[in-house]
Amino acid sequence: MNNEVPSIWQSMKAKGYSRREFLFFCGVAVAAAGLKSSGLAQVVDAFEKKPRPPVVWLHFQECTCCSESFIRSSHPIVSDIIFDTLSLDYTETLQAASGFQAEKARDDAMKNNMGKYILLVEGSVPTGENGVYCMIGGKTSEQILKEAAEGAAAIVAWGSCASNGCIQAARPNPTNATPIHKLIDKPVIKVPGCPPIAEVMTAIVTHVLLFEQIPELDSQGRPKEFYSRRVHDTCYRRPFYDAGLFVESWDDDAARQGYCLYKMGCKGPNTYNACSVTKWNSNLSYPIQAGHGCIGCSEAGFWDAGPFYQHLGSFPGFGIESTADTIGTTAAAVAAGGVAVHAAASVIRKRKLVLEQRAEAAASEALYEEREAAAAGKKAEEEEGGEEQ
Amino acid sequence: MATTRVATYQKMYVWELPVRLFHWVNVLCMIALIATGLLIGSPQKIFDAAEPSQQYWFGTVRFTHFAAAYIFFFNYLFRIYWGIVGNKYARLKEFIPYTREKLADFWTVLKVDILQIQVRRDLAEGHNALAGFTYFIAFVIFLFQVATGFALYSSMSGSFIPRLFVWMVPLLGGDAWVRQWHHLSMWFFIVFALVHIYLVFYHDWVEGTASTSSMISGWKFRKPNEIKRDD
Amino acid sequence: MTRVVVDPITRIEGHLRIEATIEGGKITDAYSSGTMVRGFEKILKGRDPRDAWAFTERACGVCTTVHALASVRAVEDAIGVSVPRNAELVRNIMFCTQYVHDHVVHFYHLHALDWVDVVSALSADPVETSNIAKSISNWPKSSPKYFADIQTRLKTFVESGQLGIFANGYWGHPAYKLPKEVNLLGVAHYLEALEWQKEIVKIHTIFGGKNPHPNYLVGGIPCSFNLEDVNAINTEKLNLVAKLIKDAQTFVEQVYIPDLMAIAGFYKDWAAIGGGLKNYLVYGDLPTKGYGFPDSYKFPRGAILNRDLSKVYDVNGKDENEIKEYISHSWYKYSVGDKTGLHPWKGETEFNFTGPQPPFEQLQVENKYSWLKTPRWKDNPMEVGPLARLLVGYAKGSEEIKEVVDGALKTLDVPVEALFSTLGRTAARGLETRLTARWLKEFYDELILNLKGGDFSTFTREKWEPETWPTECQGVGLSEAPRGALAHWIRIKDRKIENYQLVVPSTWNASPRDAAGKRSAYEESLLETPVANDEQPLEIIRTIHSFDPCLACAVH
Ligand code: HEM
Ligand code: HEM
Ligand code: NFV
Ligand code: SF4
Ligand code: SF4
Ligand code: F3S
Ligand SMILES: [Mg+2]
Repeated sequence: MNNEVPSIWQSMKAKGYSRREFLFFCGVAVAAAGLKSSGLAQVVDAFEKKPRPPVVWLHFQECTCCSESFIRSSHPIVSDIIFDTLSLDYTETLQAASGFQAEKARDDAMKNNMGKYILLVEGSVPTGENGVYCMIGGKTSEQILKEAAEGAAAIVAWGSCASNGCIQAARPNPTNATPIHKLIDKPVIKVPGCPPIAEVMTAIVTHVLLFEQIPELDSQGRPKEFYSRRVHDTCYRRPFYDAGLFVESWDDDAARQGYCLYKMGCKGPNTYNACSVTKWNSNLSYPIQAGHGCIGCSEAGFWDAGPFYQHLGSFPGFGIESTADTIGTTAAAVAAGGVAVHAAASVIRKRKLVLEQRAEAAASEALYEEREAAAAGKKAEEEEGGEEQ
Repeated sequence: MATTRVATYQKMYVWELPVRLFHWVNVLCMIALIATGLLIGSPQKIFDAAEPSQQYWFGTVRFTHFAAAYIFFFNYLFRIYWGIVGNKYARLKEFIPYTREKLADFWTVLKVDILQIQVRRDLAEGHNALAGFTYFIAFVIFLFQVATGFALYSSMSGSFIPRLFVWMVPLLGGDAWVRQWHHLSMWFFIVFALVHIYLVFYHDWVEGTASTSSMISGWKFRKPNEIKRDD
Repeated sequence: MTRVVVDPITRIEGHLRIEATIEGGKITDAYSSGTMVRGFEKILKGRDPRDAWAFTERACGVCTTVHALASVRAVEDAIGVSVPRNAELVRNIMFCTQYVHDHVVHFYHLHALDWVDVVSALSADPVETSNIAKSISNWPKSSPKYFADIQTRLKTFVESGQLGIFANGYWGHPAYKLPKEVNLLGVAHYLEALEWQKEIVKIHTIFGGKNPHPNYLVGGIPCSFNLEDVNAINTEKLNLVAKLIKDAQTFVEQVYIPDLMAIAGFYKDWAAIGGGLKNYLVYGDLPTKGYGFPDSYKFPRGAILNRDLSKVYDVNGKDENEIKEYISHSWYKYSVGDKTGLHPWKGETEFNFTGPQPPFEQLQVENKYSWLKTPRWKDNPMEVGPLARLLVGYAKGSEEIKEVVDGALKTLDVPVEALFSTLGRTAARGLETRLTARWLKEFYDELILNLKGGDFSTFTREKWEPETWPTECQGVGLSEAPRGALAHWIRIKDRKIENYQLVVPSTWNASPRDAAGKRSAYEESLLETPVANDEQPLEIIRTIHSFDPCLACAVH
């Protein structure tokens, strides 16, 4: 029964927090949200009364890295999240029960909390061949997703797989891997990244719980809180970029001084993610800081925007070397060749034209002379006539 | 006798000053944009300081690109405007071979100038129909370049014009693809300029109509018997 | 005779289904099926070989990095480049880090609940738990108050009625044998391990930029060393690595190993259950003198047949007669017919689903029934993984391996044969964690020594540009992932991937039968397993978990 379930305050109390600490915690939450202090009462209230929100975490076509990333969260630490903040009623990666007991846990959570549970989805859904590319308990992932989406209060797409299909959707997408928003007609909070940053994941869950609202999303359904800036915009190597100081080859002197990785194919300028600010594993580092360019792992279709070590990707169908520049130089060479051929042909034609023009000129001269002569004759006649008048 | 030939040419005012201004501003922007764009795409070691605080050349290159981009954009808008209020040679409809007459001209130009399988034709006063049409395509690609450019720029600028084009990003499948297309369509301009400049000189050379200098002076020359329309 | 279906098998990576027939309380036959496929081998075709590590790394986020390592090795083998010693040391450090992390997480978060009854911990005496804890380890967090707090937290949790991940567990099942107090210890360390595991991976973050899925590079490693600059790996970062290594060793020696030994002591009956196959395969790893010199590996290469530890066979990944993949029971088709095995260089990946249309109750096990292919070594089914590694190392006379194995056998007072079991597998994983935690320090020390000697190089430049490669070449990257022998085979043509095949540890272990009807490791190990309650598959998941299944890896 819901009213018997302990509130966040109760579980904090059980963990030995004092009432003062609890109120302080609420105060921090309010300040972090930028709410007016009158909002404090509301937040305190919410934490005191609510049972832990039920959560169902589904797993489809994935590498389970998003789960792995999630458990790396350092604030909040993941045991606080899964034991005190919410009720993780289904997740194949961690739950005790297997088989039909596991499925029952999921179905119970959905039935008892119709319209109230949070649905977290990791992995994409293959729709090829009636969904036989991902089956759980004899059912297709599409079927499971649709059932679970129906009664969900909020739906989160974890990682690039659920948000945009990720690697299995890379050309030629053999299983027709499909991101979840294409299969359900409810709003989906997309948290792309391969995987997303742990603290971003837990922050998005707690954002929903603390502030009882879905974080503001951009036009592509990503929380602005973490995806409104490019990695490049806040990259600590940015001064090197602006100064035109680039790593030219791996482990050269420039690399050892941390110059910009743009020429090594860094996709930071095209990639919206919080890596350069929030960083990874308790704010320790991020790909660029460890010397490798960003591969754009939070961008839709990033696998097909490569190769990764080229500033610009290749156009599909032209092979791995065909960048805009190879296509462009080929076109320019063809055009220059055409011009040359044309010019040569024109030289020949021009001779013909000149002859023609000469003939024409001669003709027109003859005509002119004729006219001149005629005119002179006429004039003489007129003069004569005039004199007569 | 040379003097006799002069008498057969007619001098006519085709390109108004605004069209000529547009043209040369456009050419300058284009040169700047291509040069800086190529550098943005594959930066060369131009200067080589030890510390980033000692130089800002790449930032300057990008700034030049964006500044030229704004000029390019407004110049373009101005030309559209002039295409509505300008003289008959400047009109936008000149770009599209929509009349039967123009279509015929289109094919003859193709046969006479490009394929050289036919020798004579009547000359248009403004653009010929084929040239007009390539300008039409160029204008469309200008717009594409502006849209992709400002779409990329929108992540660095919150101002009004870049924001107008943010929709390009999801349409093309993310910033990486916008950048690729932006880069690829640069090559259209390079190819266009190559062919265009050649043809301008070519026409002058074959027809002797002073087409080269017409974009400076505004005047063209025609033999009366070669002028197609006489209004 | 009853047919039991367990799907999903949870606390693993990926989508695994087990069907078993039970007669007289014992399993008489078993079928293992991987029910999810993504098509990596199709997706890789035509791409830049230097990008392959990033693709294959995404085969799995649990054993993240190992596919990247196998991939860069495969490409380096094909194009003929070897990496500087610093790069190899950093790769080894990342490798050991992965083992320590993966094994600890497996033991506490994926496996422990098969042995530890969470509900029973509620009625434990925290003082007694504290006494037990102090008797087996110096780990400081062992006061009665500490365990009492954990118990209160657990109580509040259980009393809330919202059981979360513990819902519908097999609590109270007769196969749970631990005293209440040890169960409480297990719960406490479940939580501690959960908090600790996020620390050790920071070594990946330092060298590879993030975890999961740190970055690799064909020809070396992407990070650079510079002792005079804050923008590269410098003393501060190296100090952090040293600290993390020390903490990891402490955790392994003071928490993981004592817990493992304590729990194993109550489950010695499981030293006679779940042995399964008698053949073991190891590619070997952790080069100390270069990848090209397998004799220098910390984990030696070799194969054992029929549990005969007196003979270790050589293994050659390039010999087209040794390793082959069969698909007679897998949802694929081969151009040469479904009965023939193919060496991975000639491997094919063509989907051919012939199973029942979902939703379904039972697989058609006499036909094809899994998305895994079936790898064989000289047509033998082989078990791979920690147990295989220790056995081959033991049989090849590795002193370090002998020391930890003999030590554990003595502590538990069991004979060597006890290793051929579910318990043996679980113990082997712990023992090699001890080793890899020690080796972390060894490799770290050597790295420092190299830097001290002025060698900063982390990348071999000569073969970076594809123009320097032959138009056609092929290579294999052999490695030991936490779950066992891992290899990638690549064929490169015109600087693009022409064919790429992964044969993964869990492919070896979890695969369906081969063309001759021979079972692979999971299926074989389930035979004879006692099942107390058909409705509660606790014993099945115990043995299956002892392999640490990873199905995303296995199918890819
Ligand atoms: C004919 C006109 C133009 C040409 C030929 C041109 C060419 C280029 C090229 C080649 C690049 C490099 C792309 C790459 O490899 O990453 C580039 C980048 C860019 N261009 Fe243009 N461009 C033109 C017009 C514009 C316009 C109108 C804008 C509008 C603002 C614009 C904005 C940008 C931006 C924002 C970038 C990315 C710069 C960066 O990442 O710092 N471009 N352009
Ligand atoms: C030496 C260089 C150039 C000369 C002499 C030149 C000359 C001309 C002339 C004579 C015309 C009128 C064409 C006609 O009679 O149909 C014209 C139109 C045009 N040119 Fe150029 N041009 C030059 C370079 C360029 C370049 C580099 C570009 C841009 C890539 C360019 C873009 C255009 C455009 C867009 C038009 C159509 C103008 C309008 O109708 O407003 N020109 N040019
Ligand atoms: N099987 C497997 Fe892996 C491992 N260890 C890969 O090579 O888990 Ni995801
Ligand atoms: S998004 Fe990337 S990290 Fe997450 S499950 Fe998919 S492949 Fe793994
Ligand atoms: S390293 Fe990448 S993200 Fe950072 S400044 Fe350079 S290009 Fe931008
Ligand atoms: S590769 Fe991914 S992790 Fe961040 S720096 Fe780039 S988005
Ligand atoms: Mg394979």
